[in-house]
Amino acid sequence: MIRRPRLVSGVAVGILIALLFLAPVLYAVMLSFESPTHFLNSPMTLGKPVLSNFGKAWSQADLGPELLRTILYAVVAGLASTALGLLIAFPIARRLVRGSAALYTFLFIGVFLPLSIIPLYAEARSMDLYNNTIGYIILHIEPGMPLAVMLLVASVSTLPAEFDEVAWMEGASYLSYLWRVVVPMVRPALLIAFLYALLGVWNDIIGPVALLSSSSLYPVTEGVFTFYGSNSSEWTLLAAAVVIVSLPVVALFIACQRQLNRASLAGSVKG
Amino acid sequence: MTKAPVTTGDAVRGKARRARPARLLSRTSKITMWGGLALALVVYLLFGIGPMIGNVIISFTDYTQLAWATTHVVGFANYASMFTSQSTAFYQSIVTTVVFTLAVTLGQSALGLLLAHKLVGDSKWAAVGRLLVFVPIALGVTIVGLVWIMIFDPAQGPATSFFGLFGVHSAFLGADGWALGIVIFVQIWQNAGFSTLVFIGGLRAIDPSLYEAGAMDGIGTWRRLRKITFPLLAPSVTANVMLALVGAFTTYNLIYVLTGGGSSYGTQTLGMLAFNDAFGVNAETNLGYGAAVTVALFVMTLVVATPVLIYLRGRERRLLR
Repeated sequence: MIRRPRLVSGVAVGILIALLFLAPVLYAVMLSFESPTHFLNSPMTLGKPVLSNFGKAWSQADLGPELLRTILYAVVAGLASTALGLLIAFPIARRLVRGSAALYTFLFIGVFLPLSIIPLYAEARSMDLYNNTIGYIILHIEPGMPLAVMLLVASVSTLPAEFDEVAWMEGASYLSYLWRVVVPMVRPALLIAFLYALLGVWNDIIGPVALLSSSSLYPVTEGVFTFYGSNSSEWTLLAAAVVIVSLPVVALFIACQRQLNRASLAGSVKG
Repeated sequence: MTKAPVTTGDAVRGKARRARPARLLSRTSKITMWGGLALALVVYLLFGIGPMIGNVIISFTDYTQLAWATTHVVGFANYASMFTSQSTAFYQSIVTTVVFTLAVTLGQSALGLLLAHKLVGDSKWAAVGRLLVFVPIALGVTIVGLVWIMIFDPAQGPATSFFGLFGVHSAFLGADGWALGIVIFVQIWQNAGFSTLVFIGGLRAIDPSLYEAGAMDGIGTWRRLRKITFPLLAPSVTANVMLALVGAFTTYNLIYVLTGGGSSYGTQTLGMLAFNDAFGVNAETNLGYGAAVTVALFVMTLVVATPVLIYLRGRERRLLR
């Protein structure tokens, strides 16, 4: 049975969440279905819903190809970042190398590094990573690594070291051991590290401008920005573009959130 | 790598000193381990540490990136000018950063804790709540920024209608008194879901038998929260405060989307100032100065975050004893 004050505070938080987190998103969705003239005359009401914004937004900017490109950048860089993080984290957590503690501190400093765009740009030019797909991905691997190492060292440390010893005595190779035994057991940490790295690419607003020059390589955030002008009559288009771009990302997170919840539940059942 | 199982001066603390499992690895496995480690460290050095060192070097020059200009070593001139000629912008941005960081760190952690406390359960509503709270993170800074720009639009936005009810009219993101508050609010709004996630993980890791023991001793909700939940959440508090703190210190992208860099509306934090000087509105004149601001930002982040981290770790040890 639910006690009264509990129910009241539950409802209060429910209303808070609805107002704070649902309303702004719904407003953008509402705008995307409004005709521009209706929006200009009475911006706060939903007129007769129209679909034309979506078609226009889709064709005016290269949203489709840009979206695919962004997913490619973010997923590959995120995976590489997580994998390299594990390759550092495992030897540190198991103290397989001398100076593990110093190495950990060295990686920890990376969490505090601010963006150094000018040297990065110079590096990109000299290493032929400027304005090409592979280069753009390589340049985005590092930002996720420090946090990946922190999370994975913590997670690997909770696994009993006897696992390693048994497997290695039976002759399992390092990589296949990591892949078959460690990866499944530290999956929640891997997932968080991956999402964090992926979001770094997704949230990068200076990278596209500083590290790419041809618009045919731009990620989708640049495409959405083309609808943002001083002219608010275009805003129904902007809202439509926002909705189009958000759908796949939100879908990805819904899929991952299930995993995350299951993972953190499973992690809590230990003796 | 030496064959000695345990070497002195090594960081093997706390644990029993037994033979290193590394010697169980086959020769090829050892090579792959070192290879993987080396590859990962090369990426980290080249694209993480390297550019920062580059920044330190550039900060001692008057580098401009203009093809015809020669670069000179200017010593500490760029650092000196932070405190003299361009001081208003620098001092102002320090104040802005402190206000922004304090408000965001406290607000994001508090809201995250409140939401996690209510959304930790297994009910369907809790799952829906967790999803909604997490959506802004998935949307990313560009989308989040654009949505709030539309909401705070002085002509058409719902915020205009809402505040109009109270007779308050403002240019919001274009108004001195408002812009920083809105930027703080949106930064918290965007990242609250992350704090919630970390706190939910922490809450779930608490052994339920402790609550049962507490219930048997007949302690009330408030005491239970104070004596059991909060102390055991200490590691989550550390993680949250550190991530919010460092995030708030170095951020520039959300501010850039919301106010375009905003030196005129009081939203130019140090991270934003470093961006503006290296790449944005003030870039052409002297990249060395921008690099110096970036170095200052890094040092300040370390100077502020290290004692906070030491304090929070100490707090963990005290509370979990």
